[in-house]
Formats: sequence, structure tokens, C-alpha cells
Amino acid sequence: MAAAAASTPQGVAERRGIPAAAFVEDVEAYLRQAGLDVNSALAFLQERLQQYKIVEMKLLAQQRDLQAKIPDIEKCLDIVAALQAKKALGEALIADFELSEGIYSRAKIEDTDSVCLWLGANVMLEYSCDEANALLKKNLGNAKASLEVLVADLQFLRDQQTITQVTIARVFNWDVHQRRSKQAVKET
Amino acid sequence: MQQGDGTEAQVTWEDQQNINRFGRLNNRLHELQDEIKLAKEANENLDDAGNELILSDEDVVRFQIGEVFAHMPRDDVETRLEQMKADAAKKLERLEEEKESILAQMAELKKILYGKFKDAINLEED
Repeated sequence: MAAAAASTPQGVAERRGIPAAAFVEDVEAYLRQAGLDVNSALAFLQERLQQYKIVEMKLLAQQRDLQAKIPDIEKCLDIVAALQAKKALGEALIADFELSEGIYSRAKIEDTDSVCLWLGANVMLEYSCDEANALLKKNLGNAKASLEVLVADLQFLRDQQTITQVTIARVFNWDVHQRRSKQAVKET
Repeated sequence: MQQGDGTEAQVTWEDQQNINRFGRLNNRLHELQDEIKLAKEANENLDDAGNELILSDEDVVRFQIGEVFAHMPRDDVETRLEQMKADAAKKLERLEEEKESILAQMAELKKILYGKFKDAINLEED
């Protein structure tokens, strides 16, 4: 899904639904243009920061899910490969598997042409070993690609958070500077 | 940026981009530190497994594939284990190299940013 984003000289204006933080060239000009006093501006920026944090939590959760899914798919591919290897040798595969917590049982798997894959939603489908390999590899590819996009999203998001934090500090400092100058003028 | 005395240098877009880059590198550094820890553990486990294999004198070894323990002839297990150890060592080396590179880049950025902003910016680990 291509991100339809308008480019500004400072990068894209948004990415996959995440609005970019506008970079402030000059604090005074920014406040004047927005028609905001310092406290309203700070409140607005803080709220933006909170919204970014919420999206970050969501993305991190998705990342954790994907990072757990990928080794699972790789394990499945290992098993299918092991079955195919044994079949090529004409031998049966003997495996110990967990029947229940702490209780193991032995299985002898002979001459397998097919495997059953768990597709989720209480559905399990039988595939030939070749089909299973193809499907698992495709799923692995998709998962890795999704993870890459997600990581890029997170980087973009964190950049926007940093920009917002810096802007908050700059607005605050500008305000302090203003007050000090006014104070200095008053005292002369 | 620190909430300072209001007399620091102006922040340009280039400065902002440097700060963003520093942030990204710092995040990646933390991820790498976790990954390196896991990779070191994996390496140790594989070494332990190798030692156990040498000590045991059974012909058939239960080798974990996925969630099950497949019975495999000892030689096959040895070969597989050697391969896994080589892969794990390479992975650890790659991670360490990336970490060195990131630390170097972060040092560069610190020089630039502290140079311009001095006290107004804090780039240290809290």
C-alpha cells in the first residue's frame, strides 16, 4: 500500500496515517502565524506528543507479534524439510513429542507425502510437502516484508516525536527569553 | 533539548535532522544490545550442546526440530550442530560490527551537536 504523501522540503507531510510534525523555523513567526499564545501552543504540542505515544504503543505491539511469528514459520519449514529428507532416504522419522505438560510420547512417521498446516481460526488444511513449502515460504516473505514496513513506520514516528519535543523546548525557551527581556526593559 | 536560559543558538532543519538521526541510532543501539545478549546466549547453548554430545555415547540423539524431538543418527547431529555454531558465530560478529559502527556515528553526531549547542542539549544516557 503506497503512502500517498505530499512532499514538503522537509520530508513527507504524513506517512500511512501518521501526521508529520511541522518543523518550526522561527518560534516567534510560528506563534504569530498560528495565532497562539505560548501556553496554548505548548498544550497543543504536548497533546500531539501524547497521540504519537499512543500510536507508538500500537506499532510496538504489532512488531512484537510479527517478531514472534517469524521464528514459528521457520520452525515449520525445518520440520517439512526434515520429513522430506527422511522420505528421500526411504526411512521413517521417529520423533518424541509432548503429549501433555512433562509427558512425552513417541511417533513413527512413515512415507509422508503430505502435511497438515494450521491456518488459524480453528482451521487446519492438508498440503503436499511441496505445496506446504511454497505456502510457508510465502508467509515468511510476507511477514518479513511487513516487519520492514513497520520498522520504517516506527522510525518515522520517533522522528516526529523528537521534532515535537525539540519544538516544545524551543517555544518554552523563547518564552523565558521574552520574559527576561521584558523584565530587563522594565528595570532600566 | 534542555529547558535552558533562553539564550541558546537557533535550531535549523539540519540540526533537527542530526538530532533525529542521533535518536534513531540510539534506539537501534539499544535493540542491538538486546540482540547481542540473545546471540551470546545462543552461542553458549550451542557450545554446551556440542559438549554434551561428545560426552554422551549414544548412537541415536533426540534433536529438537520445531516442537518435537526427532531421532537422528549421531553423525548427522554433529554436522548440523557445527553448521548451527558457525551461523551463530557469524551472526554475533555481524551484530558486534554494527554496534561499533553505530557507536562511531553517534560519537560524530555528539561532536557536531555539542559543538553548536553546548549545554543546551543533553545526549547522554540517563
